[in-house]
Amino acid sequence: MNEIISAILQAVELIIERDPELIGITRLSLYVSLTATLIASLISIPIGGIIYFYEFRGKRTLINLIQTLYSVPTVLVGLFLFLLISQQGPFGFLNLLFTPTGMIIGQTLLILPILIGFTITALVGVSIQIRELAISLGASTYQTIITIIKEARYAIMSAVILGFGRAISEVGVAILIGGNIRGFTRNFTTAISLETSRGNLVLSIALGFILLSLALLINLVLNYLQGKD
Amino acid sequence: MNIVELEEVYKNYGDLQVLKNINLQFRRGTSTALVGPTGSGKTVLLRLIDLLEKPSSGTIYFEGTNANESNDIRLNIRRQIGMVFQKPLAFKASVYDNIAYGLKVRGKKENMDKKIKEILELIGLPGYENRNALKLSGGETQRLALARAMITDPRLLLLDEPTANLDPISKKKMEKLILRINRESETTIIMTTHDLSQGQKLADRMIILYNGQILQSGTPDRIFRKPKNRFVADFIGIENLMSGQIEDSSDGLVKIKTDFITVFALSGKKGKVHFTIRPDEITVSREKFQTSARNTIQGKIYKIIDTGSFIKLLVDTGELITVFITRESLNELSLSVGTNIWLYFKASAVHVF
Repeated sequence: MNEIISAILQAVELIIERDPELIGITRLSLYVSLTATLIASLISIPIGGIIYFYEFRGKRTLINLIQTLYSVPTVLVGLFLFLLISQQGPFGFLNLLFTPTGMIIGQTLLILPILIGFTITALVGVSIQIRELAISLGASTYQTIITIIKEARYAIMSAVILGFGRAISEVGVAILIGGNIRGFTRNFTTAISLETSRGNLVLSIALGFILLSLALLINLVLNYLQGKD
Repeated sequence: MNIVELEEVYKNYGDLQVLKNINLQFRRGTSTALVGPTGSGKTVLLRLIDLLEKPSSGTIYFEGTNANESNDIRLNIRRQIGMVFQKPLAFKASVYDNIAYGLKVRGKKENMDKKIKEILELIGLPGYENRNALKLSGGETQRLALARAMITDPRLLLLDEPTANLDPISKKKMEKLILRINRESETTIIMTTHDLSQGQKLADRMIILYNGQILQSGTPDRIFRKPKNRFVADFIGIENLMSGQIEDSSDGLVKIKTDFITVFALSGKKGKVHFTIRPDEITVSREKFQTSARNTIQGKIYKIIDTGSFIKLLVDTGELITVFITRESLNELSLSVGTNIWLYFKASAVHVF
């Protein structure tokens, strides 16, 4: 017990001192996960808009598939991508394995289903009368979709933040694709995994605190957005 | 020139036939009220005209063009129409952005500030540009909806029961605005309402819709004076609606017998008929006189109602007949409940259908 308390105190010191390794890990984590969230949003929101607006055969099935992928195990996504970008894989020539870029791609793939699915749900939540209002005011199909996205903006923002939350706290993709290389592809989750298994509690706990604060911050923002709706 | 024409339009939802054989023309610059009870199909009709839905069969023409020929044509035409829905609705944005919407989607961004300022004054919400549209009251939201539809200067304005969800004061304000638009602009107006008196007040022409079919079309005056059938008469709340059997007829003059009274009227019909007598075309007296009126009927005053502007007498003649008289007459003749009186009206005052 004493050891744990002592570790906690040292962890706090690390944070206060702005330990360079701590900062480096934090920066990489934010870089990878924020970029992944941005790219995923840019893809998901338009796709979500299109799926929402049009009726087509298999729409039900598609949406079911997307929802099934919400909680796909992160290691599976990691494995899938690994097979694609390892030296033996079709995209091996891109040399993306064990790079931050590879991690970004992996996390993007991971959170695409959540972002698409929740965007669709958010748009469906906008009353059909608003859609008709837009149409009756002379909006084209494209303009109507944009309008509905705007109406649902708080719900969509919540989805984006949720996606970020999943990205920053996942381990499977980061470890398989990143490789946990010190100073290069070591993020919060991979670092905590490594250091804890080594018994180096101080760094783990320090990282844990930062991650926790981040989660709290995310929660606050989510609450604020949901209040706006 | 007809701005909108409907030719043999039918609309079904599955097995339910909501509109049957609608043939209508709307002249430019006129204002028309589609009147009918809930479920008569008037909202569906308006939605078809706004091209929100397609007819199951039949054609809709907008200024001579088949409106549903292609998506591009539909969009084009829709951009010349403005619509206000029954339920007050606003985008999650400021009042300014709500009104600007129509201009923005058409790319007409010149002088937007000025135009919006002017229209806000017109609808009685000056300075409301930056207010959150969701925080407006129902009446204010409907006026916002009107501004939103009118800002693009539409050739056709559609109003779906625009005052149905409003309190009496907001309703009056809305009606005033509609009248003003009718008077001061070239915009053709088509509105739906279940309120006959509103239709009468706001429109040059009324179309009575029931069960998906057009029963009668014409000026409010004509419809009130000569309802085409029993349903129309019932719906418009006509007084003295009775039915009977035609017994004799010669030279257009018929004798109608109800279970209680006999009435002379002018009609070419035979057999069982319905008829009405306008309450303001009946005169009364305490003593029986010889008059030029064909019909002379005796009765007892059952009830006296003072409407403020005139007196309504409910007279029991076997049939309960309503008569309108002035307050002076009431006093001069010293009429009260239970008084026996004679009713006189011409054969021409009886409308048979």
